Amino acid sequence: MAHQPRGLCVSTAAEHLAFASAARQAALIREKRISPVELVTIYLDRIGRLDGHLRAFITVCSESALAEAERAQAEAARGAWRGPLHGVPFAVKDQLDTAGILTTSGSALLKLNVPTEDSTVVAKLKAAGGILLGKLNLTEFALGGTLRFPYGQPRNPWNPEHDPGGSSSGSGIAAAAALCSLTLGEDTGGSVRSPASYCGAVGLRPTWGRVSRHGCFPAACSMDQVGPLTRTVEDCALVLTLIAGYDAKDPTSSRRAVPDYRATLGAGVKGTRIGVITELVDGAETQAEVRGAVREAARGLAALGAMVEDVSLPLIPHAGGVFMALCDSEAAGRHKPWLSARADEYDAGTRRRLVAAGLIPAVPLHRAARARALIREQLLEALGKFDLLLAPTSPHPAPAISFHTAPVTSKEEAARRFFGRRSYTTPASLAGVPAISVPCGFTAAGLPIALQLMGRPFAESTIFAAAGAWENAAGLVDRHPPIAAA
Amino acid sequence: MADLGPDDVRRLAASLSLPLNGEDATEIAHRLNAFLDALAALDTLPLEAAEPWPTSPEGYV
Repeated sequence: MAHQPRGLCVSTAAEHLAFASAARQAALIREKRISPVELVTIYLDRIGRLDGHLRAFITVCSESALAEAERAQAEAARGAWRGPLHGVPFAVKDQLDTAGILTTSGSALLKLNVPTEDSTVVAKLKAAGGILLGKLNLTEFALGGTLRFPYGQPRNPWNPEHDPGGSSSGSGIAAAAALCSLTLGEDTGGSVRSPASYCGAVGLRPTWGRVSRHGCFPAACSMDQVGPLTRTVEDCALVLTLIAGYDAKDPTSSRRAVPDYRATLGAGVKGTRIGVITELVDGAETQAEVRGAVREAARGLAALGAMVEDVSLPLIPHAGGVFMALCDSEAAGRHKPWLSARADEYDAGTRRRLVAAGLIPAVPLHRAARARALIREQLLEALGKFDLLLAPTSPHPAPAISFHTAPVTSKEEAARRFFGRRSYTTPASLAGVPAISVPCGFTAAGLPIALQLMGRPFAESTIFAAAGAWENAAGLVDRHPPIAAA
Repeated sequence: MADLGPDDVRRLAASLSLPLNGEDATEIAHRLNAFLDALAALDTLPLEAAEPWPTSPEGYV
């Protein structure tokens, strides 16, 4: 082992390495300046110290990860490189199947579920040399609104009394608090982008069909999409390059060629046309600190050469309600046998959400299906004029955990809690277009704020170029959650 | 349309073989009424002009 940064500040060096990007770590392994065993050991130590409180992980694969790291180390010593992630530890949302490893989808109903096959995305990361470090916590069945997490309450690393976002809660925490090198989540209506926003990480929802869903427990099949949650835009691009592509096991996956998304990261935003969605930036629900940070980011992108102007998309405020009706009715249909036979094993929040959607009559539901087409048409029309659309990822920073556990006392409150904020992330889901969440500032209380960039179908490269340019200009990558440094 | 109450929800759920306890029925009524309001508001949109295709990015370009 030839790890160089030694000396008295061992813990500082380990901390520094833990927060380094996966791309940087992979390069250090190639240069034999660090070893896979050292990297895995650093993360296992951090998980041991921090995750008892943060609860990012449901399962930590300590023994198998160390064994894989030793194998990767031996291969590296003889120059046998598996791929771009050789020796790099990753963790995935527990919605993704892993051969021989417990896969719960965050539910007590699946507390004994051990798949026999890896999901396609996990198999691809392993084939690229990645080492599976563990399975990450999530809201039950990736639906959001869990009241009691069966595998522990996940907490925001910037303030543990606050929500880390969901449904890919553990993925957001693990990326932001440097509990592994990179993570995967799954985004149906914002489940990658929301935890990225609340935790100060980078999260991408790829174009629907860009990434195989084989081995991913469905939330709503017509909108589910697996995506990376990482500390940097470059890592996001690296992971998408590795997991994207056609899969015969998923008939909805696209046969389009997969570009090297990292290759165009440096393209910048000069001449890129960006529309700022006024209904989301200036909407009544958008808190002033969020509005200010996102407007400032838009000015920053303009200063980098983008052509930025406001655009109105009046159907956007309907997106949250339309999405919830379509997503939850799909989920209610899938869960019906278990709801009838094992209702008490569900978390109460999940059960109420599924049953409510199961009772929506057909005619209003058909209205939602037609409205999805209208919203998609409006978004795509705007993306004909603009290369990218910009909005806050969330109208507010991470709320207190207690906000989610308070009883729902009226239909107005139900609409506000369950539809309102979802109108920010669900337009991309309804339209099937790619969208990224990137940090763009902090509130006075020290909670992260994020902007969202949506692009044309299969135009992830344009998104990465703009997000990367913004990330470089903003200089927020080196700001780490205080709890992670404790 | 008048809001549905917990008893309505219990009857509807029973017709689908979905067992409900008291606490669930009250919250589900609020959630279902919120859905019905949000979806009723869509009637002001030109829905007849839109075919209800699901997501299909390959068909866009």
